[in-house]
Amino acid sequence: MGKQPWLRGHRIWRGRRVWQSLLARVTLTYAIGALLLSSIMAGASFVLAQNQLLADREGQHLEQVIFNAKDIRERLEALTPETAAEEVGTFYENAFKGLPHPNGSQSIVLLPDGDTKSLSLTRPDIPAPIVGKIRAGTQVAEQRYEKADRSISYMVGVRLDDVPFYDGDGIIYYETVSLAELESTLGSLRVILAGVAVISSLAGAMLGYYSARRALAPVGRISGAAMAIAGGDLTTKLDLQADRDLSILSDAFNNMVDAVATRIEREERFTSDVSHELRSPLMTLAASVEVLERRKESLPDVAQQAVDLLSQDLHRFQRLVEDLLEVSRLEAGAVKLQLSRFKLAEFLENVIAQTKSAYVEISFSGRDANSSITADKRRLAQVMTNLIENAEKYGNGPSGVSFEVIGDKVRIIVEDDGPGVPASQRERIFERFRRMGAGNRASGTGFGLGLSLVAEHARLHGGSVWVTDRTDGRHGAQFVVQLPLGEHVDVVEEMAT
Amino acid sequence: MGTKILTVEDDERIRLAVTLALEEEGWDVIEADSGERALETFASSPADVVLIDIMLPGIDGFEVCRSIRRGSDVPIIMVTARADTHDVVAGLEAGADDYLTKPFAPKELSARIRAMLRRARSTEPGDLERIKVGELEISADEGMVLKNGTELHLTKTEFKLLVELASQPGKVFSREVLLERVWGYDYFGDGRLVDVHVRRLRTKVEDDPASPRYVVTSRGLGYKLQP
Repeated sequence: MGKQPWLRGHRIWRGRRVWQSLLARVTLTYAIGALLLSSIMAGASFVLAQNQLLADREGQHLEQVIFNAKDIRERLEALTPETAAEEVGTFYENAFKGLPHPNGSQSIVLLPDGDTKSLSLTRPDIPAPIVGKIRAGTQVAEQRYEKADRSISYMVGVRLDDVPFYDGDGIIYYETVSLAELESTLGSLRVILAGVAVISSLAGAMLGYYSARRALAPVGRISGAAMAIAGGDLTTKLDLQADRDLSILSDAFNNMVDAVATRIEREERFTSDVSHELRSPLMTLAASVEVLERRKESLPDVAQQAVDLLSQDLHRFQRLVEDLLEVSRLEAGAVKLQLSRFKLAEFLENVIAQTKSAYVEISFSGRDANSSITADKRRLAQVMTNLIENAEKYGNGPSGVSFEVIGDKVRIIVEDDGPGVPASQRERIFERFRRMGAGNRASGTGFGLGLSLVAEHARLHGGSVWVTDRTDGRHGAQFVVQLPLGEHVDVVEEMAT
Repeated sequence: MGTKILTVEDDERIRLAVTLALEEEGWDVIEADSGERALETFASSPADVVLIDIMLPGIDGFEVCRSIRRGSDVPIIMVTARADTHDVVAGLEAGADDYLTKPFAPKELSARIRAMLRRARSTEPGDLERIKVGELEISADEGMVLKNGTELHLTKTEFKLLVELASQPGKVFSREVLLERVWGYDYFGDGRLVDVHVRRLRTKVEDDPASPRYVVTSRGLGYKLQP
């Protein structure tokens, strides 16, 4: 019931933006970490796989080309200076057809006169760098290059020297193979690796989320325990012993709770000790004064007056002691409400009947006639009595008491014909030891506690109290106590505050 | 011989002042300054009403109350320091009929004593008719309750409560009404008196006090005797 200020703080914490929460930050960190790590891993895997695949394919091709070149060289022995030019063309045609061309490789021969022989290629298909390398004297040269259609190919050139047919000059045998197929394999691999990177960053985020949640789970338990303690349950203990790192925290927390509990207990004991110490002499006084009062007639006039004074101030003193004890109980959080269900109209009639004030009419609408409330009857009666006495002291007496049920709440209103309460005082009069104006000390029992107790008791009941001007246009103050009607209770229930 | 009140109070000054005031009201007062002394005194000369301070050195007020209750249905009033402690319920459960908080006015105590000594009212004065509810047979005039012909031992207050409920079987009595009629309180009496006495009454008249057949709770309204 008690709305602790820190509970409001808690709500503010929850209201902050998501990324300001520890959970979100840990999750994000894990996600970024996982993304970085998996990108590096994927990139490295891709490069390695690419190199390996290309090296395999190129190595295979290189061997193939050297083998084919040897074949061509051997076949060239069959050519003689007498061979006709057309026959040479057919020779190459047959030779190319007879060579194995796995993976769709294509052959071309560069003749000493710069002419070329091929089934499918032409001179421009031979990239310049490889020609340069052969000319520079390399026996076997290789070249990865991009074709006009931007697909990657790999070409190997082998110089075949001392061909008798060409008068001892050499020819160059080139064979190229397309790596496009490999490219598409690598493309798929790239997609797969990117997918893996994305999935692993998601997994990282999830891992981060769950581990952060696990790590933060004790925070939830701590806040639950703190809330239970704020709610008055000082037997709450935090058990995080299972985790060595957190057991330090739970030990400290439990020690704190014990210390607070000890302090409250000490204050409660102090209250009850003081209460006992004050009550004993008051009891003796009350009983003795009563004897005196009964025998008043037999006393001299002066003594009678003294007895009256004694009796009146004894009552005043008793009220003060009761109020102070109630205040210290409130301070110690040691008030226990005795909740029962009763009818409002009946209750207010009885409250007014027991105050010494003149007859005050209670007004309420017919619809509210049978409305009941669950509250501490004795304390609510004190609230009403204090308001009525306040009206008597400062407002020329209460002029009307009314109540109105609004939803699940009730507003009980006490009006007076006094000067009203200036706006600047409307909060402060509910503070302790505050009184409006000069007040008449001699006649009142007020020590400035009455309205503060009204406010405290209203708060303990989950309600509030405030003062305004009268709403009917007349002069005077209007005190409004708003309380929840509460739920049905069958027996008188005790509620710690 | 007037009505005898046994006051058990360890504080001599309070005891003296209360005795003076009670004697002024016309009661005979027997004093006891400890629980032990109170039990001895009560055994030798039973009082009509016992007033016990809960905070006593040696055996405390609750124990004194329980010991007396084992052999007597005498009205017992507890004196506690505070109304909102568990002491009140504990005292009532120990068998007390009513309680007062210190400091109380002896006039108020006298009013309480008078209320306790008042006999359970019968529907009509001199009416010897018995009220029968189920297996229960209540005779207000004789101060007796029979269940299946066996007499039940109720305290005076439990009996008054039962008779009040039995005066109109089936009618719901609010706590306030019962407090006024049984204890003589005004509207602001402590409802726990009724609750604890109903609980005590149930342990005596019900077969299963956890699911009462006779003294039943009427949700949010009070109690009634189920005909």
